[in-house]
Amino acid sequence: MDTITTKMSREEIFDLMKKFITEVIGEEFVEEMDISPESSFTKDLEMDSIEIVSFSEKIKAHFGEQIDFTGWLSAMDLDQLINLNLGMIISYIEECQS
Amino acid sequence: MPILTVNGKSVHIQELNKGAAETIILIHGMFSNLSVYYFNIAPLLATQFHVVLYDLKSHGMSEKVLEGYDLESMTDDLLHLMEALELKKVHLGGYSFGGLIALKMAIRFPERIHKLAVIEAPDPNDDKTRGIIDEYSREFLEHYVENFTDTTKVKMGKRQMERNHRMYEYLFYQTSIKADMELEKGFFASAAIPTIEQPTLLLYGTDSNCLNAGKQLEGIMDQASLIAVPGDHNIPIQEPLVIAEALFHFFKETPN
Repeated sequence: MDTITTKMSREEIFDLMKKFITEVIGEEFVEEMDISPESSFTKDLEMDSIEIVSFSEKIKAHFGEQIDFTGWLSAMDLDQLINLNLGMIISYIEECQS
Repeated sequence: MPILTVNGKSVHIQELNKGAAETIILIHGMFSNLSVYYFNIAPLLATQFHVVLYDLKSHGMSEKVLEGYDLESMTDDLLHLMEALELKKVHLGGYSFGGLIALKMAIRFPERIHKLAVIEAPDPNDDKTRGIIDEYSREFLEHYVENFTDTTKVKMGKRQMERNHRMYEYLFYQTSIKADMELEKGFFASAAIPTIEQPTLLLYGTDSNCLNAGKQLEGIMDQASLIAVPGDHNIPIQEPLVIAEALFHFFKETPN
């Protein structure tokens, strides 16, 4: 498990999230999309729940105990999950680092 | 992503709170995957229990398999998974088709199951339920998505529609799932269900077309009690916390 030791900037977290999303949904789909912090998971990225499971697993594997990503998601209701965007995740990871 | 090899096939599993004394295994429904539990239901149960989620064959991220969708084969798969994980006895919860697998498991391997939770398991003899399998087409999927999945508020985009279409096409036209389900028509009428002795919680939606199946099960199972939750067949997605809390209290408090 490659747990991080140094604090990442918003840009670095964004790039890492983009890498994870590419791994989950495949490069050919990502190329057609303009991924930004405003991109929502279900609407813009069209990720279904099993893909979000894979994405969560990647975050867990990368950050380890430092971030309780599933715990954070489990506190959300369906509307919040549907509206979840990349920026919110970046902010959450940023907060966990501080 | 945890992938186990069980009987030579890859099975995607997720485990939470691995050190806990008691284990709950949750089984998802047909055309679904373990994510139905992953976000809300499993984390709540995992505050006290070891929770195991797995993707059924050809579902989610588990390996595609052409045959063995009857309840006998599906319960063989689960038993092998329990053996691979070295689980002697577990609590079992199943949703929809997964609920039928849970019932079958309690019939075949009663010594391996503590308590049973059955969520929205349909009567396999019900034409409305089986109709889905008989009439699948691309138009059906589009109609289904348009008219039914909006109760879960998630609209499918083009890529998802394609993904789902591929999964349905595979399951309907390449695997034995249709023929295997046909064989299970008499399951509710069989003499085996009333022999289940485990305390059983039946969770059904008040507006679900499966509610009658729940009432039927309550009528023939001595140890079963039915709770109707506001919602339809999609209650685990519509009311995850209500379902999670009902499961938690049932597994925790009802005496064995």
